[in-house]
Amino acid sequence: MTYRSTSIAAYIVFFAVVFALPFFLNSFWTNRVATYLVYAICAVGISLAWGYTGILSLGQGLFFGMGAYMLAMSLTLAVPENNPVPDLMLLNMQPDAVRDLCCVTPGSFLWIPFRWVAVGMIAGLLVPCALAAGLGYVMFKRRTTGVYVSIITLAFALIGQLLVINNQPLTGGFNGLASFAPLTIAGFEFDPYGPSVYYAVAGILFLVVLGLRLLLSARIGQVLKAIREDEARARYLGYDVESYKLFVFCLSATIAGLAGMLFTLTAEFASPSLMATSFSISMVIWAATGGRASLLGACIGALLVNFVGSYASENAVLQPVWPIILGGLFVFVVLVMPNGIVGLIKAWFERTPRDNSSRREAYP
Amino acid sequence: MNAVTRIEAARPQAATPPILTTRNLTVRFDDFPAVSNVDLSIEDGELRVIIGANGAGKSTLLDLLCGKVLPSEGEIWLRDRNITGIGEAAIARGGVGRKFQTPAVFKEMTVLENLQIASNRYVKVRDNLFRRFSRGPTDRELAVAERTGLSSFMKRKAGELSHGQLQWLELAMVLSQDPKVILLDEPAAGMTAAETDKTAELLLALAGEHTVLVIEHDMAFVRRICRTITVLHQGSVLAEGTADDIEKNPAVIEAYLGSATLSHA
Repeated sequence: MTYRSTSIAAYIVFFAVVFALPFFLNSFWTNRVATYLVYAICAVGISLAWGYTGILSLGQGLFFGMGAYMLAMSLTLAVPENNPVPDLMLLNMQPDAVRDLCCVTPGSFLWIPFRWVAVGMIAGLLVPCALAAGLGYVMFKRRTTGVYVSIITLAFALIGQLLVINNQPLTGGFNGLASFAPLTIAGFEFDPYGPSVYYAVAGILFLVVLGLRLLLSARIGQVLKAIREDEARARYLGYDVESYKLFVFCLSATIAGLAGMLFTLTAEFASPSLMATSFSISMVIWAATGGRASLLGACIGALLVNFVGSYASENAVLQPVWPIILGGLFVFVVLVMPNGIVGLIKAWFERTPRDNSSRREAYP
Repeated sequence: MNAVTRIEAARPQAATPPILTTRNLTVRFDDFPAVSNVDLSIEDGELRVIIGANGAGKSTLLDLLCGKVLPSEGEIWLRDRNITGIGEAAIARGGVGRKFQTPAVFKEMTVLENLQIASNRYVKVRDNLFRRFSRGPTDRELAVAERTGLSSFMKRKAGELSHGQLQWLELAMVLSQDPKVILLDEPAAGMTAAETDKTAELLLALAGEHTVLVIEHDMAFVRRICRTITVLHQGSVLAEGTADDIEKNPAVIEAYLGSATLSHA
């Protein structure tokens, strides 16, 4: 079998397993695997930006968190007791303030559009995309590359996290948002522990992967590869490298925002911890472990690392050292297998026929 | 008022201006003039060789022409269009192709993929979202590959090519762009004698079809491809003429005194 047909088979097997899993899982694990699939969506976005284009963003958590908060605000307001004003604002309001979203706390009017769940869902995509557009425009027009992009995105994620924590009357501060009504679309209620949310997440993962496969098989896929390898060369061939990078950065941020929204459905909270540096770096580790230059590899990496992590968290010996293991894994992957699990498989496919041919030459 | 007259003065006066003109082109790095007051005028189809000792500003001149370095003063005109400071990509789209001294190709991609990227007429993001490259080479890509001796290596990864082949691949990529002006920085560097011969032949064949600007300091190679030579010295044009003129020019001899570059020619 060639590498290409193997890789297509691998995609089919992967999604067949993903779609079959709920039949074998109890509700606790259905919910947990759904969360891991959300992480896989994140990792796919990182694979696109880092693996295919060479943009290593360490601020994906910011976009993820923004997506999560956008939908979380809508789902918070969808709880009847949270109207006209959610609890978190009542706790933080001035005694004489008007009990209405317009003015109960400073900035609370920003919540008004989120009374409509559709607004929350659209904002969950658009707000991360718009922020990435602004940030990316400034970075890429100034020709910021490599590790500087990582540092700037990391810094922005930190700023975002601090803003959310410090604006408690508006955001719920350190505790974030956690009392949601279930998402209801056209009368259908999504159950975080049932197959409905699971299949929503799995279906979206499938669509994201399929969409990106199609995108990358078009000419832009080759152009992005070229930019990753030698962006100056691409520029001297006439390509506006900056607009390609901006496009990818925004798309990747939008995917992270989408994953963040799905996270509020599976995990039923949105908190500043989603914007923490450690979480952004975890996402990069998932993609790196599976294989950053492969969408499927990134998915597998996200699932694998999180499965192992969940077992480690239940083990009294492993639990305290898990962050160290995770960090060690990253160092190991970067040094020993920079293309991850998929890279090892690919290298094996590429080596086998050539070894045969050289053997044939050696012993005619 | 002053600025207006300067622009008018800079605009080439002839009915069809030369394909490439520079006016008063100057660049200073920390007050050190790497290129100063260079006025070039290169006609269509010309094969122009630029020679000069190390540090004479040859590569910097090419960097200025392709937009890698912004001039401190002066202008660059491509026919009747001022291309000063419009950016590398826009200059490339305008029809200036650049080959670097150390071959810059996409090593993880196949020869064919390299050529496809180079010959792609669509450079905008939205134009490449739904178009695919064809599976095999187009006639044009095949012709360029044959011309550079790469047609039997189309499926080979560029990283697996020899150094000489890498040089040709980059040349092939530049040709795939179908540029009006080709800028070549020491195209025969690191090549074997046979490869150098082939490169010289190729350059001679390209002149006429394209306008070619070559930097070289191997005088034997220069003599083989020579038409008009421009000598750069300390960032300025020292002399311009045929190979014989240049080698007899007292100023050039003096500038090169102690340098082996001309004597081994």
